[in-house]
This record gives sequence, C-alpha cells and structure tokens, in this order.
Amino acid sequence: MIRTILLPSATSPLVSIRVYFGVGSVCDPRGKEGLAALTAAMLGRGGSRSRRYAEVLAALYPMAARIDTQADKEAVVFSGTVHRDNLEPYADLLADQIVQPRFADEDLERNRRDALEHITRRLRGTDDETLGKEALGALLYRGHPYGHPCAGTEAGLAAITLSDVKAFHVGRFTQDRLILGLAGGYPDDVPARLLERFTALPPRGLPLPVLPPPPARRSAEVLLVEKDAPATAISLGHPLRITRAHPDFYPLTVARSYLGEHRTFNGVLLQKMRGLRGLNYGDYAYIESFIQDGASTFPLPNLPRTQQHFEIWIRPVRPASALFALRLALREIEVLRTDGIPGPDFEETRRFLLHYSRLWTQDDSRRLGHAIDGLVHGVDIVSELARRLPTMTKGDVDRAVREHLSTSHWAAALVTSQAAALRRLLLQGAPAPITYDTGSMPPEVLEEDRRIESFPLPVSEAATTVLPVASLFAS
Amino acid sequence: MIDTAAALPFPVSERTLASGLRVVAVKVESGGLQAYYSIVRTGSRNEVDPGKSGFAHFFEHMMFRGTERCPQEAYKDELRRIGASSNAATFNDYTVFHILSSSASLEKIVELEADRFRNLSYGEPAFQTEARAVLGEYNAGRSDPLQRMHESLAENAFTRHPYGHTVIGSLEDIEAMPDHFAYSRDFFDRHYRPDNAVLLVVGDVCDEQLFAAVERHYGGWGQGPGRPTIPEEPPQTRENRVALDWRGPTAPLLLEGWRIPAFSTENLDLQALDLLAELLFSRHGRLHRRLVLEEQTVESLSGASDVRVDPGLFTVLVRPRRPERLAEVEAAVDDEIARIAREGVDPRTLRDALSHVRYSFAHALSSADRVAKVGAELISLAGELGVLNGYRARFAEVTSEDVRRVAGTYFQPTSRTLVTLTGSPS
Repeated sequence: MIRTILLPSATSPLVSIRVYFGVGSVCDPRGKEGLAALTAAMLGRGGSRSRRYAEVLAALYPMAARIDTQADKEAVVFSGTVHRDNLEPYADLLADQIVQPRFADEDLERNRRDALEHITRRLRGTDDETLGKEALGALLYRGHPYGHPCAGTEAGLAAITLSDVKAFHVGRFTQDRLILGLAGGYPDDVPARLLERFTALPPRGLPLPVLPPPPARRSAEVLLVEKDAPATAISLGHPLRITRAHPDFYPLTVARSYLGEHRTFNGVLLQKMRGLRGLNYGDYAYIESFIQDGASTFPLPNLPRTQQHFEIWIRPVRPASALFALRLALREIEVLRTDGIPGPDFEETRRFLLHYSRLWTQDDSRRLGHAIDGLVHGVDIVSELARRLPTMTKGDVDRAVREHLSTSHWAAALVTSQAAALRRLLLQGAPAPITYDTGSMPPEVLEEDRRIESFPLPVSEAATTVLPVASLFAS
Repeated sequence: MIDTAAALPFPVSERTLASGLRVVAVKVESGGLQAYYSIVRTGSRNEVDPGKSGFAHFFEHMMFRGTERCPQEAYKDELRRIGASSNAATFNDYTVFHILSSSASLEKIVELEADRFRNLSYGEPAFQTEARAVLGEYNAGRSDPLQRMHESLAENAFTRHPYGHTVIGSLEDIEAMPDHFAYSRDFFDRHYRPDNAVLLVVGDVCDEQLFAAVERHYGGWGQGPGRPTIPEEPPQTRENRVALDWRGPTAPLLLEGWRIPAFSTENLDLQALDLLAELLFSRHGRLHRRLVLEEQTVESLSGASDVRVDPGLFTVLVRPRRPERLAEVEAAVDDEIARIAREGVDPRTLRDALSHVRYSFAHALSSADRVAKVGAELISLAGELGVLNGYRARFAEVTSEDVRRVAGTYFQPTSRTLVTLTGSPS
C-alpha cells in the first residue's frame, strides 16, 4: 500500500530520504486553520515516544543531520540528507518521529508560538514580498480550502488542541497517503527495513476533501494592504484550469518562461521593468505554486496542487511607480495574447527550457523530490518537457496563452503605505505617468511609457479594497 | 568515518597564466553538468573611497551590461540558448559570477566570460538605469529590520575599515550612484584584472580542454593600475551599544559582534572559534535547550565566526519572544561564553561538535554547484584552493584548551558591538 521510489547511486557517500504524505492545509477543519502544518511540525520538530525533542536534536547533532519539514496545501514532506555512515540511526530516528510522535505539551506550545510569530510578525511585519503573495492567495481563493496560509490563521492556531493534533495524525498520516523515497549510496537492505517501520501507521486515512473550483472572477479585483512600507510589493494573477497533467501546461510553460523565469535575466517583464527602466530588482511569472529552494534559483519539489494559478511577482517599487508597474505587467500579457510570442523568443525559450530543466534535478534530494512529483502528477515534468518541446510550435504557445491567460479577470495584492491614494488613482482610471530621476531615457522607451501609463485597469469601487495589515490572516 | 585528511575528495588541477590569472578545475561526477565560477577578489572591503559604499555590488550588476562584440541582449540570448542558470553575488571580500550549465558549453562560456571581463562596455544611460535597479534591490530588503541591524553593527564595529558598511551600501550612497559613471570605469579598470581573479570550474570538466580554452580567450587580458590600499582598523578599546526602534511588528532582536582575527592558516584559532560557535549556538547546545526548548523565551538564536580577509566579527543573533527579555538573553549568552572560558568543554561534547563540523562539510559537497560555492569562499580568503584540505584537517587538532582559550581571548566587552531592536505593535 505504501508507494516507494528508489534512486540508488552506489558511488555517492550521501543518502537522501523523503517521506511524503498526500495531506495538507486543505484538510484543516474550519476554525482550526493551521492544523496540518502544526501536526507536521509536531512530527518534524517535536519529540518521539522514545526521545524528548532535546534528545532528538542531540542524536541528530553529531550526524549534522536535520529533519526538514515542509507543509503545503496538499502535501507534507519530511526530508533529510545524511552521510551513509549515519544512515541507519538517522532512518530509525526519522521513522520514530513520524510513526511514534511524543505529542508533548511543551512541543505544541513552542510550535504554535512559532507559527503565530510567522503570521503576526514575519508576514505582517518584516517580509512584504511574502505578505503580497499570501494576500494574493487569500484573494484568489476566498472561501476555498486554499484560502488561508498553510501556517494557519491567528484564531485557527489559537483554537487547536493537542487532541486535534493527535486525531489529525491518526486520521491523515496513513499508509495510503505515503510515498517513501530514498536516493544515493544506501545499502540494498535499507529501503525494505525502513518501509517496514511505516507499516505501523494506520493503513487508510479519512477521505480527502473534494475541492470546489476557485471562486469565479467576473472582473479585476485589487487588494491594497495598508502598512508602513518604504516600497510597494505587488503580486497579481488568476486561477488556471490546468496542471502538469494537461497538455497545455507545456506550451504555457514556454510563455511563462518568456515572461519571466524565476530569478533569471531572461524574461520580458524583468527586461522592461529593471533592464530598461530601473523600476525594481526583478519581475517573474509562474503557472504553478513556487517556493525557491534555499539560495538556488530552482523551485522546491513536492508542492503539488490540484488547482493552480497564474502569478506575476513584481518586486518592490517606489509607491509612485506601483500602478505603472501593474499596468506594464498586464500590458505585456495583453501583448502576448494579441501578438503571440515573437518567433525568435519562442525558439530560444524552447531551447533554454530543454537544457535548463535538467538543472532542476542536479542532486539526489532534488532528483528524488521530482520523482515523487512525477508519481503524484502522473507525469514527470522534466521528461515531459524533453518529450514535448522538440515538436512544440509557436502556434501551440499562442493558443495556450489565449486560452488560459486573462487581462480582464485578474486579482492583485499591493502592500503599500499609500493604499488610500492608490485606490483613488485606480478608481479615477487616469493615466499613471512615470518620471525618471536619472538621465535621458531612449525615445522608444518613453514612447512605450505613454502606451503603458494609459493601459486600462478596469476595477470597480466594490472590487478595490483597502485592508490594514493587522486584519490579514486573523481568522 | 569520513576522512578529514581529504575534506575535498575530488581531483583538483590548477594552471596560472602569465597574466597572473589562476584557473582551477575540480572534477566531480555531475551528470554532464559544470559550475563555472569567475571569482574577483574585490568586495565591499575594497570600497575605500568616501561616498562609494556598495560600489562592488553595483559593479556586479554592471557586468551584465555587455560588450561591443556581445551586447547585453546578445549575452543573455547566448546563455538562454545553452540553457544556463547564471547569476552573481557580492560579499565583503569577493564578487563571484556563476554559470551552471551543460559541460558541452564550456568553450562558449569561456569565450563569453573572457569577453565581458576584458571588454565590458556600457554608456551612462544604462549605468544610471542599473543604479536604480540596485535601489530596487535595497528596497526589497527594507521591510526586514535585520537589514537595518546589520548596517548599524557594521557602522559601529569599524571606524576606518570598509567593513564598516554593508555589502549593498548605504541608502545615501545608493541614491547617489547614478552620478558616478566615470568612477565606475575606473573601478572596472582597477579591480577586474587577471591578477585579482580566479576561475573555478567544477563538475564534469576536462582540465586540459579548460586550460587551453582559457589560454585562447583570456590570453590578452593585461594587468592594470594598482588597487588602493585598504585602511587598517585600529584595535577596539570600548564596547559599543546601540538601541534601535522599528515601526511595525517584529520580533525583538539582539545582534552582537566581537572582533576576531583575519583568515590565517598559522594557528588553530579560527577552527576553535568555529567549534565555539557550534558549542554555543547549535540546536543541541545548552543555550538552545534552555532558552528555546525549556523556557521558550527565545524564538531562535544563532552565532557564527565570520572569517574574512581582514579581521572580522564573530556574530550572534537572538530573537527573544518579548522585548523585556533582551537584557536577560544578553546575560545568558555572556554567562555561557564565560563558563566555556573558565571550564573548557568536556571530551564528549567536543567530539560531537567535531563530528558535526566534519559531516556538515561532507553534506555541503552534494553537487558540483555546491562544491564550487565552498571553493569560491576559500579562494576569496586564501587566493587558492590548495589550502582547503589542510585547513579542514586541522579541526581534528582542536582541544578543549583551544576552545577555552579563544572564548577567553576574543570575547572581552571592549571588543564587542551590540545592537538591539524593538518594534511597535502595528
């Protein structure tokens, strides 16, 4: 019943383990938002029946090992990499944590406090860019199981009891939801022994909730999050009807990369905002959930979602440039919808992705994560890109863009100190001219500026909301 | 157990060109990938001129503005064609430009990189536009109070040395960057020179092919005018304390820095300081157990010996859950340092810390790119990779007495700068 993925590599001195459960914040009961992530934290960052948490850390320390715990909407993953010298004690300890958690009161209070600080201090206080992304998520999925941060809400976290956590563990962390993966230089007998440990979990879990479609969007909508912010962070997007399992995902990947491959200099958005105008540090586009893996430019694996959305991340701009930047991004989508991807850019982006996607699996842990994603989605994205890109046409990309990207039914979240003023300007619908405090701009840039500044932002009064930051993620 | 005598268990070959450009190849099985690192031994440490803080980082940006032969768009398109992941980073002591790609692209990458390092060309409008992108990068970090904390720590810990400003530079200097076009050309001329650069290529790389390609493309790169002398920082004679306020919610923060020696292979002090950081701040350590796990008065605490070319800082960062705990947390850190300075460390604890350090290093070598990152850092300090194995091997020589000695020597109040920050509720 437990699915396994094994990627042996006899010459590697390291072994990576991923313990993946198909469960996440979509299973949070109403009023207990944060339960899945808090339960995951109790397993990954709490004690086990045989060890208090301090003893767990003491055992991991000489191995320089960790249990990384990642809790998303529909997946929870515990992962780690150890030298093969330490594989057996590490694997035993990891299994103890997940199969026989301690559920100590002190672990619950510490993990709850950490989650609350993430919401009340990090998101609301010190990380405006992540705040903008979470605010967009709340806007796109209002009333939907995706509509709250995976970490939870203030009220939800406060309401969770130890009994809730125990029940969630028994009911959700079950063999039928588990994929066990090993990669690297492990001895032949280790996978079977580790698998045996997990047969102590209940065989079947509660059924997963059936997700409703995201709320229908009839027009554009803007959320202005008011806070004392020196620059304005912007995220915008709209739901998509497709995932990796759909053929259109792959031509849309080319369009996405053309608009803005994460933390690269390739994209047209970055070229126009940063390269030509110096508006900000970077601008990128996504067609599925994306969290950067450490300091790399690549996504964390194992963030599968059965519903995805298109998103553009505009890094902080001066408040006076915020509406111009928003217009520029939307206009680029409109140009792409109308004119299609330029032929040379199609060819180069296609070629880029063929090579670049190979970099996504450059170490054992990432390779393992991608293999698990392949099992969950039914397709492996790297293989699928390698298969589809060589025969893909510009027409495929243009059709997918027209079919799936919209410039009329979008939502945007702006984190700003100028919320009221920006709202007023938005509703006036007046052009948002931009001024430069540096030397002369090329005439073609100034000419394009005039077209951007008057690009329509058709938002109604009812669809333009100002919220104080303290009200976000309260309940 | 892993063999600490061969911390870097990969074949390494080196070649130095007549110009002084050093080339290092590290062969690591990597599925046909290579990490190509161009290391310039100039960072914020070299920003000696008033009003020019952040210039090394700014120049890192300018290096993507192209040459006459390969303008910016063409450079970007070439890298896009080969599917490379390319970026750069600036630190206190160095700037690194890295390209991760298929090994089959070696010749093209050598050609592209040699061209931009020798022939960078940009006009004033592009320079001014990029200056505003740097301001955008500064603004991206402004909601994080740690940016302000680190600025304050640097300003107060150093009076003459350029370590007295952060890598990205002060807001005032960043805002003035568009005015310094002529200075930027001079900066390139002085610092982007073969005797100040090292090429490090890690992965599935043929060293002879690499050396031949480098000879072909970097061959005419000449030496330039001398680089400015970096002012020496006088000894610190009194403790510096700064209290900052922050508008908005944040965890209260305590950031401390103690003066420590420059990078050296002459003695065991730096290895002992690394181990002391482990003993004090690991998640297995006494402070973490007491403050984070038992009392739960602290959200997190960390510390590290930030080894640099010139004397740097041993830094400590603590996030208490409530501002009224700041003084208590500061005292707890002081008490633990004093205890180790008095008692040393028991053999088992030291053995565990040594094991942790060894395995952490092994884990850091899990891909060609990560090996290159480790190598670039050491090259920035030592100018070569050859000292790495010896430097790592000497961790095994560190005794309890060494740890006790460095705890007693470097952690005097007169060598400390302490910055606290507290936020408002909303």
